[in-house]
Amino acid sequence: MFVPLQSDPVLLPETIGRVLFGGEIAIWQEAVAGFIAAFVIANVMLANAGVAGPWAKRKITAAFTDRIAVDRVGPAGLLIIPAAAVQLMAKELIIPDGADRPAYDIAPILLALSALIGFAVIPMGSIFGINLQMADPETGLAYVFAVASIATLALTMGGYASNNKYSLMGGLRAIAQNIAYEIPLIVTAASVVIFTGTLQTSEIVAQQAEPLVTIAGITIPSWFAFVNPFAFVLFMVANLAEVGRNPFDIPEAPTEIVAGYMTEYSSIYFVLFYMGEFIHIFLGGAIVTTVFLGGPAGPILPGFVWFLVKIWAVFLFTQWARSAVPRVRIDQLIEIGWKGMLVLSFANLVLTAVIVGVML
Amino acid sequence: MSSQEKAPEGDLPETHGVDYDALEELLGDRVIRRESHLNAEGFVIRPDEVAGALDLLRNDAGFDHLSMVTAQDYEDRYESIYHLTKYDDRTQEVSVIVPTDLENPTSESAASVYKTAEWHEREAYDLVGIDYENHPDLRRILLPETWQGHPLSSDYDQDKPQVVTLEEHVNPVAESQEDPDSDTMFLNIGPHHPATHGVLHVKTVLDGEQVADVEPDIGYLHRCEEQMCQQGTYRHQIMPYPDRWDYSSAGLLNEWAYARVAEDLNDIEVPEYAQIIRTMSAELCRIAAHMLAVGTFCLDIYGDFTAIFMYAMRDREKTQNILEDLTGQRMMFNYFRLGGVVWDLPEPRDEFFEKIRDFMDDLPGTLEEYHDLITGNEIFQKRTIGTGVIDAETAKQYGCTGPVARASGIDYDLRRDDPYGYYDELDWDVVTEDGCDNFARLLVRMREVEESAKIIKQCVDLLEDWPEDERNIQSNVPRTLKPDADTEVYRAVEGAKGELGIYVRSDGTDKPGRFKIRSPCFNNLHSLEAMAEGEYVPDLVAALGSLDVILGEVDR
Repeated sequence: MFVPLQSDPVLLPETIGRVLFGGEIAIWQEAVAGFIAAFVIANVMLANAGVAGPWAKRKITAAFTDRIAVDRVGPAGLLIIPAAAVQLMAKELIIPDGADRPAYDIAPILLALSALIGFAVIPMGSIFGINLQMADPETGLAYVFAVASIATLALTMGGYASNNKYSLMGGLRAIAQNIAYEIPLIVTAASVVIFTGTLQTSEIVAQQAEPLVTIAGITIPSWFAFVNPFAFVLFMVANLAEVGRNPFDIPEAPTEIVAGYMTEYSSIYFVLFYMGEFIHIFLGGAIVTTVFLGGPAGPILPGFVWFLVKIWAVFLFTQWARSAVPRVRIDQLIEIGWKGMLVLSFANLVLTAVIVGVML
Repeated sequence: MSSQEKAPEGDLPETHGVDYDALEELLGDRVIRRESHLNAEGFVIRPDEVAGALDLLRNDAGFDHLSMVTAQDYEDRYESIYHLTKYDDRTQEVSVIVPTDLENPTSESAASVYKTAEWHEREAYDLVGIDYENHPDLRRILLPETWQGHPLSSDYDQDKPQVVTLEEHVNPVAESQEDPDSDTMFLNIGPHHPATHGVLHVKTVLDGEQVADVEPDIGYLHRCEEQMCQQGTYRHQIMPYPDRWDYSSAGLLNEWAYARVAEDLNDIEVPEYAQIIRTMSAELCRIAAHMLAVGTFCLDIYGDFTAIFMYAMRDREKTQNILEDLTGQRMMFNYFRLGGVVWDLPEPRDEFFEKIRDFMDDLPGTLEEYHDLITGNEIFQKRTIGTGVIDAETAKQYGCTGPVARASGIDYDLRRDDPYGYYDELDWDVVTEDGCDNFARLLVRMREVEESAKIIKQCVDLLEDWPEDERNIQSNVPRTLKPDADTEVYRAVEGAKGELGIYVRSDGTDKPGRFKIRSPCFNNLHSLEAMAEGEYVPDLVAALGSLDVILGEVDR
């Protein structure tokens, strides 16, 4: 007996299960369907974050800096990514003396994994009538923040396990930064939860479909970015820190601590770290999309396409910040986090609570 | 005034009103005898009275700038020369000469009077082998700790192979400095590190994220430039080397340093037309070098090859295109010759002038864009204002020159203070800032680009109107130059990073007997410890970037 986490709309594992095994599904069949669904979602996201992402990053950065970037291998240089993948995997995996194994080996896997499993509860919209959401638990938002935080653990593990001082500093910086910015991030998201009254991601998205105002025939939906732009700005800033991009790329800070926690990683481990970071940026974009930008909602095009457009927009924003904004110093970063972001996010939370309590 | 016995006939450089008799009186019986150098009088001092004599000259006679320490050996003695001058008046110079005997070359250190002497004396010890008493930290500076012998001393055996181990900079018999109870962490920044602008090794001790102690370890790019110059003939063979010192496309500025000293030594006149070409092309080099400095400094602050770095590169490229048209080279120009330049401006001249004018016209807009992007950015200001502070007094102690000194409010620019070329005929200003911090150093460089543009525009106007039959690019210079033996001269120009000086002693042949380079980066880098200690690691990196050191020039 298949017990859907939510009845409507039909989630991806159930769709697959019905196609494969017909109406009544045993537990093991359910598990198989789940695995297949996870495989599909993971690959879709990897194609975005691991393949298109690095290529787009090079192109975007080049556009910001008056360059052309890759254009020789394949159309528009796209095949550089498989070429780079082969090259990186073919490289020798150098493990430093005194590295603390298996922590050293687990860290890169954990980073990539933590970002990937976050996508399980993201409502990605539907395409060809298939809803691409993996699961829709009532605690969806809490879950996604919880797994995204595991990334910090991975960075710290990689940092100390490398037996390198730069890595250690990078790991310590990662903890300091993530603690300072995750609280504002989650508190700001909580202000949205006050509006919606639920942590369930599909429900949050559904509530944003309501029209907010209609101006000259154009209906503006009640995306929380429009309802509470202040929270949106806070969230975007905290998100930049969370994914470690300028002005908050402190844990890596190439000109200061070489590559931070990544310094000693090479070959496939480096690929995992690098890809993990990209997936993390995309997960950040997915959270922003779900919580503030109406999820997969949008006119004409299928929901899934809108979903991709939105997370790519957030990705573009991080790349823009990276190209144009200097990095703050570690003490300034902590100061901004604890003295600025935290206070503002709590102010936002209280204000939202009051408004919601009084007006709605 | 001085007795210029050994100087060649002709126009002698003036000694600009330094009352050497009064100085001799001031020093009293410390003076053994007087010597004449082309640029200044020298007082010969006993090796155990160096600090006392320098202290008098510094505090009572106002010679607050120890420009360089030259060490050399003669057949019967070693000699250290302290080239002193004043920040207020660069034309006032005096040399303090300290001979020591061959058997026991020990001389008192000047480090207690001038901080900058610390590094200069280490170099003298390293390369020539003079021992400095009371020196706070007399170790090798360029060569590895384990090196045997002193390469520039005459008893050095060049053929003896040196075994330099992998851990070449570690003295194997030194005691371990590690303390298990310590709260601090030792960190090697470099020699392979994204922010060291070349191969620089900064030994840092960190207290958390804060820098407790910093010690630059240099010498990774030591290429024996001085010795190579000593093996080249004055006329042609030395000129290509200066291009390789400060290789941030500041080549012509370096070439001018050699041109100036060799022209003074051999009493060569430079035609006015050539002087204008030199002035123009040198300022183009300055723009290129400052663009690189601005770009890499921002690279250190931004942390990636981001927009501002690429913009700076783009504009540096334009100056390089112009310089390529002029000299045929983009970096290693070899364009100056003794007595002028190697060839005239490229034909068609109109096109060349047009190209320069186009660039000059675009420059204000470009700089405006830079200011929008960097100096106007609040995060950037937060990062750079008030960090890496070095006040004027400390900067003078460290012998800082160039943009580093001018950003600390020291109004010191050799182009104006010790005029050469065509600078004193042109209308431009020396840029100073009072911020003393990383931000001020950046601002000085950006504003100096504007001043250089002013100079270039005036030069272009002059060159354009220059009568065709008076375009004399080189004076007549003998094929072989053999200055009289034991003529000594120290001359400096304003390089991209500061006072780039060269000391030459002739030995009667067509090659210099001693060729010593005063690298502005060497001195500026020494001041890093004053800027960075107590700051955070990112500010150490920023301070290093704002110093704009080129390791090719530091190590020579």
